[in-house]
Amino acid sequence: MPPLRDKFTIHSKAVVCQDVELKGDITIGSGTVIHPKATLFAIAGPIVIGANCIVEEGAVIVNRRREVMRIGDDNLFEIGCRVECPSIGNSNTVGTRARVHHTLRLSHYCTISAGCLIVPSSDETLDPYTVVYAGENGLCDRRIWSGKGKMQEADLRRKHAEYLRDMLPKFNRLRRGEGA
Amino acid sequence: MPSVHYYCPCLSTSPVPPPPDLESSSYSFHELHTLYFCTEPECMAIRCNRCVSVEVNGYYCPNCLFEVPSASVRAEKNRYGACARNCFQCPSCRNTLVIVASDPPEGSLSASVAAVGITGEPPYFLYCNFCRWDSTEVGITFEKATGLAGQLQKTEETAPDVVEFERLKEHFEPFLRAAPSGGIAHAHSNPITSAASSALSRDISIPGLSKYSALLAGRRGGRNDREKAGTTSKDKEELAEFRSRWETGAGASVAEGEVDWIKHLEDVGEVATIEQRWVGSWTTSMRERDLKPLRIPLHSKKTKRCPQCRHIIIKPEQKSQSVRYKMKLTASNFVPAIAISVPPPVASTKAVDPNAPVTFHAGRTYPFRLAFTNPMYEPTTVTLQVQRAPLLKGRPPFAVSLPSPPFAIAAYAEAWEYEDEDEDMADEDIDALLAGVGSPSGYTQPREVAKPKKPKTVGVLERKANTTVIGGELVIGKEGRGDAKFNLLVTHTYQAEDTAAQEGETEEKSTKTPTSRQAEVKTFSFYIVIDLGVIIPREKEESHRRDSEQMSIS
Ligand SMILES: [Zn+2]
Ligand SMILES: [Zn+2]
Ligand SMILES: [Zn+2]
Ligand SMILES: [Zn+2]
Repeated sequence: MPPLRDKFTIHSKAVVCQDVELKGDITIGSGTVIHPKATLFAIAGPIVIGANCIVEEGAVIVNRRREVMRIGDDNLFEIGCRVECPSIGNSNTVGTRARVHHTLRLSHYCTISAGCLIVPSSDETLDPYTVVYAGENGLCDRRIWSGKGKMQEADLRRKHAEYLRDMLPKFNRLRRGEGA
Repeated sequence: MPSVHYYCPCLSTSPVPPPPDLESSSYSFHELHTLYFCTEPECMAIRCNRCVSVEVNGYYCPNCLFEVPSASVRAEKNRYGACARNCFQCPSCRNTLVIVASDPPEGSLSASVAAVGITGEPPYFLYCNFCRWDSTEVGITFEKATGLAGQLQKTEETAPDVVEFERLKEHFEPFLRAAPSGGIAHAHSNPITSAASSALSRDISIPGLSKYSALLAGRRGGRNDREKAGTTSKDKEELAEFRSRWETGAGASVAEGEVDWIKHLEDVGEVATIEQRWVGSWTTSMRERDLKPLRIPLHSKKTKRCPQCRHIIIKPEQKSQSVRYKMKLTASNFVPAIAISVPPPVASTKAVDPNAPVTFHAGRTYPFRLAFTNPMYEPTTVTLQVQRAPLLKGRPPFAVSLPSPPFAIAAYAEAWEYEDEDEDMADEDIDALLAGVGSPSGYTQPREVAKPKKPKTVGVLERKANTTVIGGELVIGKEGRGDAKFNLLVTHTYQAEDTAAQEGETEEKSTKTPTSRQAEVKTFSFYIVIDLGVIIPREKEESHRRDSEQMSIS
């Protein structure tokens, strides 16, 4: 399969640092923040990221499939995580150094806690509010979050993104989309 | 891996350790970093964690670092010695819980979703940042964000395990009051006895065993009384039998309900894991949904004393934030550190697994090296004496030769004081390297042996800063088998010019006469056990060779 030609579409209100590795057909939505040293690889199909997401340093987002990898709004990808999910809804958190295989899809308000490795043998979609965390036995346990406090958390994430949109451009060169 | 362990004679009446081939031997030997040292002139001995007596210096919460007075730990309010402030653990993943406010009602916000600045409101609840467990799942909420333990106490007070614990305390109180106060404290100050007694008291709280509890306690009490106070075992009869509120048969009805629940179970995640239920002291529900937040148990700082002279060996600073010690007499500051290495055989070209046990062949001779590092500010002289190896059919399986004359180890100095010496060493190293060209296994041959054809293996091989390396030889008999393991008596003699400065002891000065202050010669002996590796017996080796020959034929 031929690699996609590079095509970056970056919303004017997004903050994408210069030192970000982009490959393939990538669309980044309004208010989304991509830290330096993050990597977005659209190997087989395009990647489309929604609004107000945060992609931290060292995070790697890969689309291995031909279909479009859609990432919704208000998602947080923490330092050094690796995500290959074919689709991701809204308000999910992927923790530091967590790794998610391309057989898993995230719906909404899912949390993959720090360091978890999830490799389902067949395609699976996590229900909303699912939390995957490293349990006492070192394996990844799952539970369902009550959702209590989600409004305060959403508020916090918005403030987080807002702060980054203010501060990152002061210390980093930014990328602009083609034609912008 | 070859190893060196140090002997603490506390388990035996003899200062000489048991032969290393006895199974019990390993219990008397310890790693140097776990040992203490009593510097009192009448003791001057290694002490281990098993023999020092332990007193609690103070209690504190490991989460909020609040220091809890011992009196209130003993008092009823502080059940299980847990933090009585706002510290809780997640019952699901053991992370520390935080107190958070509830979201405002959802309807009120729909218009201003974009507006930043949502403030939470009561009720408050406990929340886990890691697995997102929250206490509303088990119906626990708080009106205020402070004094959580106090707010929870009302519900906790009626919990069956708390009620049972209270009843037990009531039951044993007359007995504890009757017991001679000093005697009990002393008996418990040793970690062996205190561990044993706490194990006993733990047994008592197991519902099924409760009918024996009075018996156990009575027996224990009786022995203490006889030993310590010489009173009769009258208390034993006076202590009435304790009746648990929990009837062993009563579990069946609860279990029935759970059987029903399990029959209709669809997700195994709804069952609480053993780890999650393990901390419960009472029969708990099997449902993950029923897990309650856990109090964070207090930690304690402990003072350790010499079992012989009662002098303090370890005393931490009182403050919970501090990690310093007021007194810390660890063996590693007084006893040379000894490291063993066995150079790999010359013929071996294969990469050797560093964790694999070193093996020796019967009838051969192997060199090994012992590196002695002096931790003291005085130079020391060391003499080695091998304890006779165990006999096998009247013949020792192996013999060890080590230098018999005493050898010196330079004093410890701060790194910058070595500077000049290091330059000298560099030249020597070059000489040694040149002399040892073609020397196998990469280690430099010592300078002294540059001239003779046969390199010296027994004797002082190297001196660098406060480390002296000694070469020894392991000679394995034709019938040798088992472990190449032997006890070694190490005697070190040093001129203690000003012990007070080094040991941080002020009393020392006053006891010394002015004449002896000039240069007091001190001698200290201790045993170590050296485990070099495993001897491959001759017959096994031959059968192994036959096997491999057959393999190559076929
Ligand atoms: Zn001991
Ligand atoms: Zn606390
Ligand atoms: Zn948790
Ligand atoms: Zn002592």
